[in-house]
Amino acid sequence: MNILTLIKISWRNVWRNKLRSFVVILSVIFGLVGGIIMIAMSYGLNEERMNNAVETYLSHIQIHNKSFSEEYNIKHTIDNLEGIENAIENDSRVVSYSKRIILNGMLSNSNGSYGIQVKGVDPVQEVKVTNTYEKIIEGEYFKSKRDNTILIGKKLADRLNLKIKSKVVITFQDENYELTSLLYRVEGIFRSGNSRYDEANVFVKNISITKNLPNFSGYHEIPMLLTDIDLRGDLKNDLIPYSSDNIVEGWDDISKDLAYANEMLAAVLYIFMMIILSGLSFGIVNTMLMAILERRKEIGMLMSIGMSRFKIFLMISFETMFLSIVALPIGLIISYSIVEYYSVVGIDLSIVEAGLENFGVGTRLYFKVPNQEYFIVAIMVFVISIISSIFPSVRALKINPVEATKTI
Amino acid sequence: MIETRNLSKIYNPGKFEVNAVDNISTLFKEGEFTSVVGPSGSGKTTFLNCVGGLDQPTSGEVIISGENITELSGSKIINYRLNNIGFVFQAYNLIPVLSAKENIEMIMLLQGVDENNRISRTNELLNQVGLYEMRNRRPSQLSGGQQQRVAVARALASKPKFILADEPTANLDSKSTSNLLDIMSQLNEAENITFIFSTHDQRVIDRARRVVTLEDGKIINDNKK
Repeated sequence: MNILTLIKISWRNVWRNKLRSFVVILSVIFGLVGGIIMIAMSYGLNEERMNNAVETYLSHIQIHNKSFSEEYNIKHTIDNLEGIENAIENDSRVVSYSKRIILNGMLSNSNGSYGIQVKGVDPVQEVKVTNTYEKIIEGEYFKSKRDNTILIGKKLADRLNLKIKSKVVITFQDENYELTSLLYRVEGIFRSGNSRYDEANVFVKNISITKNLPNFSGYHEIPMLLTDIDLRGDLKNDLIPYSSDNIVEGWDDISKDLAYANEMLAAVLYIFMMIILSGLSFGIVNTMLMAILERRKEIGMLMSIGMSRFKIFLMISFETMFLSIVALPIGLIISYSIVEYYSVVGIDLSIVEAGLENFGVGTRLYFKVPNQEYFIVAIMVFVISIISSIFPSVRALKINPVEATKTI
Repeated sequence: MIETRNLSKIYNPGKFEVNAVDNISTLFKEGEFTSVVGPSGSGKTTFLNCVGGLDQPTSGEVIISGENITELSGSKIINYRLNNIGFVFQAYNLIPVLSAKENIEMIMLLQGVDENNRISRTNELLNQVGLYEMRNRRPSQLSGGQQQRVAVARALASKPKFILADEPTANLDSKSTSNLLDIMSQLNEAENITFIFSTHDQRVIDRARRVVTLEDGKIINDNKK
C-alpha cells in the first residue's frame, strides 16, 4: 500500500464525523488567530514604542563627548565638531541631523521644582530630527521671536501646574560648577506619547543658553536620522575615527532596555504561541482517542487482514495531522486579513491611555506581524500536530485484533 | 492443507484456567467447505483465531502447507495472514470511507499488487459476487447481504490459501444468506479455495461438506458428507 492510499483513507476518516472534526478544526483556527493577533499587538506595541523613542528623542545615532556622557558637565562638548559635521553632510546615508546643548538641571516655579534635562536646539534643524513639533497640544513650536521661550511636556505641566506663558526658572551648573539660573516663558506644551519623557525633558532655543553663558561654546549632542535604521552600525564605525574623545552610539546602545525588549519579544511570543498550541493539541489528542475508541473493531480488522503496525501508525498520524493542517491555512488567512486591516486602521486604545503613555506609546495601536512570523507559526503548528499524533497512534497500536473484532 | 497438532488455548493460565481449545488435532484439506459448529463457548472462535494466526495457542502447532505458523511472530505473521488467509467477519468490518471497489482493492494494495492486476482482479471479484454495478458505493449505501458479499470478495482478493469466516450469515436474512452461500460455494468449486466457517446457522451447516462439532474445546464429532 503506498503512502497516497494511506493519506486518502486518513483524509476520508477525518470527515467521518464532520461535526467533531469541524469543532476541533475551529478550535485550532481560533487558537491560531488569537495567537497571531497577540503577536501582532505585541509587535505593534513594540514597534510603536521603538519608533516613538527614535522619532522623539533617540534618533538613529547620537554623538557625545565621552566625558559628558559620564559627568554631564557642560564643558565636555563634542570634539572635532567641524570635522564630524563635514563628514555627516557629505554622507548620503544621513538624512538629517541636529546639534543640541544639553543641560541637566532643575525647573522651578511657584508650585515647586522638578529635575529635568534641557535640550537647547536650533528649532529649524531640530524638526528634521525629532517630531516634537507635531506633538504640541497647546501653544506653538518656537514661533515667538523671543529667545527665552520653552517647550515642556504635558506631564511636567500638570505636575507644576504650568500653562502657556507661565514663567519658569531653570537652574543648572555652568562649566565652572557655579549655579546659574535662566528665566523662560512657556510657549508650547507637548505630549510625546511617553509620559516619562514628557515629565523630564524640555526644549529651549540654544541661543538662549549661549547668550547667557558667554564663555560657553560647542554642542553636547548630535542626533541624526539615517536612510535606513540598519545602517547605523556601519556609520558608527565610520564616525568613530573623527575623535577618540567622542562616543558614537546607535539607538540600541543608548536605550538598552528598548533594544533588549525588541530582541526578547520574538522569544517570548514563541513561548506564548507554544503554550496556546499545546493547549489545543490536548483537544486534538482527545478527539483522536475518541475516534480510535469508536473504530477499535475496524482497526482490529485492518490488523487481522494484514495491515502492518507501521501503516496503522501512519494512518492515525495522518488523521491527527490533517486536523491541524486543515486549520492552518484558514487560520493564517483569517489572521493575515485581520492583521492587514488593523495595521492600516489601528485599534483605538484611548481607554487605557495613561498606561500606554507610561509605556511610551500612543493610543492607537497598529498591528504588525513580520512575514517570517507566519512561516514560523505554520512550522510550529505542523510540529505540534506531529507531536499530537504520536499518542493516539501508539494507542491504536495497542489494540488487540482478537479482542477488537471479537470474532475473526 | 491445514493441520492442527495438539492445539490448546488456555485463558488465565495458572489462575482460573479456561480451556477454550483443548488438544485439538485435525486436518483440513485443500478445497474443503467446512463448518465448525457447537454451542456458545465451545471454542469455535478461539479455534479459528488460532488457525488464522490471530491468537497464539498455549501449546500445539498449526501447520499450513508445511509451515508451522505458531512459530511466526511480529511482522512475519502479519505478512503471512496478508498473503495466505482470507477473513470474513460477522459484522462485515468494511472500511466505511472506502467504496466497495476500494475495500477489495485495499488488500492488494497492502500486498503491493500492480495497478493493472489490481483493477482486473477487483472487477473479476465484483462480478463474481454480483456487485460490479455497485462498485462505487460505500458500505453505508449497501445492504447487509451486499456488504458481506464485498467482505467475501475482499477476503478472496489476496488469493489466499483458505478463508476463515466466523458466523458470516449471523446478521443476514434468509435470502441474503442463500445468496452468499451460493457465491461462496461457487468460488469454492471454481477456485478450489478452502472455506472454514464457524456457525450456528443450520442453512450453512446444510451446505457444508464437512461438519466439525466442538464442545468444551474438544472435537466431539467430525462428519464428512
